[in-house]
Amino acid sequence: MFNIPKEREVPFAGVTPAPVGEQPMMITGNWRTFRPVIDHELCNLCMNCVVYCPDGCWRLDEAEEQVVWNAKYCKGCLVCVNECTTEALNKAHELDFEDGVVRLEKLF
Amino acid sequence: MAHVHEITVWTRGVVKDKEGRDVAQALAQAADKEGKYVQAFDNYVDLPDRVNVPVRKYARISDQEIEMRYDYENERPEVVVVVDATMVKGVNVLRGMAQGGVLVVNTDRKPEDILKFVPNKELLKAVACVDADGIAGTATVDFSGTEGGVDAVGLGAGIAAPLLGAVARATGLVTLDSLAEVVKNAPALRRGYDEVMVHSLN
Repeated sequence: MFNIPKEREVPFAGVTPAPVGEQPMMITGNWRTFRPVIDHELCNLCMNCVVYCPDGCWRLDEAEEQVVWNAKYCKGCLVCVNECTTEALNKAHELDFEDGVVRLEKLF
Repeated sequence: MAHVHEITVWTRGVVKDKEGRDVAQALAQAADKEGKYVQAFDNYVDLPDRVNVPVRKYARISDQEIEMRYDYENERPEVVVVVDATMVKGVNVLRGMAQGGVLVVNTDRKPEDILKFVPNKELLKAVACVDADGIAGTATVDFSGTEGGVDAVGLGAGIAAPLLGAVARATGLVTLDSLAEVVKNAPALRRGYDEVMVHSLN
């Protein structure tokens, strides 16, 4: 992080440091109204969700041999559900789940 | 300075942006018709021109002149309206609220299902749930009225109308009759007033 004095703090979209792995100043999980839910039985690891996700929220866990979803950054665009070849991915309403609560203490 | 009733509306960018703005604008205009001093404005910090991003709209109602200069956010909201229920998972919507506030949510679910995601729910005096999507149909996706443009659709043509009815019932800040003068979809407004489920807490 930059060492910015409190009174000179710039709001979001002014300046954010380049992310290494994840971008802690731009958490987008709270944009989501629907989420993709995966059925690992049906998944044939075609990698379409990994390739098409605009935010890189799907990754392959090679040890477990399954794709893993990132709830912290998924915006719920459902591109992965559209691109899934085996109908292993389906959309579900966010309020049906207890998990996936993503809050920014200071909004932007 | 007299007490200023601060109303914060949480909504989602682009898809429900106009609905959120309509709630704030119509509350202010209805209170204006009752002779109150009012303000209504958008939050510019939220960058609303992205789909689904959390954005805020503000309204202020007071019996005397509002002397809050250079205050562009409602720091202590008394009433919080949530236009998309899933936002309670993503944002601490009650931030800054003093004891005894009111939360109005657009949802067809039970208040318990919403309150389990609200971390500081002990601040609330009441929570009101209204199925605005079911009453008024889908949200109007429209850019008219944005950033000073002419509002061709009019206030409260979509889901804002039943939400406004719910706010009138749950808070009593404005009367239903003065809201009916400014809202375009008056039947939906009255249905929201009648069908809202207000649960008192504490």
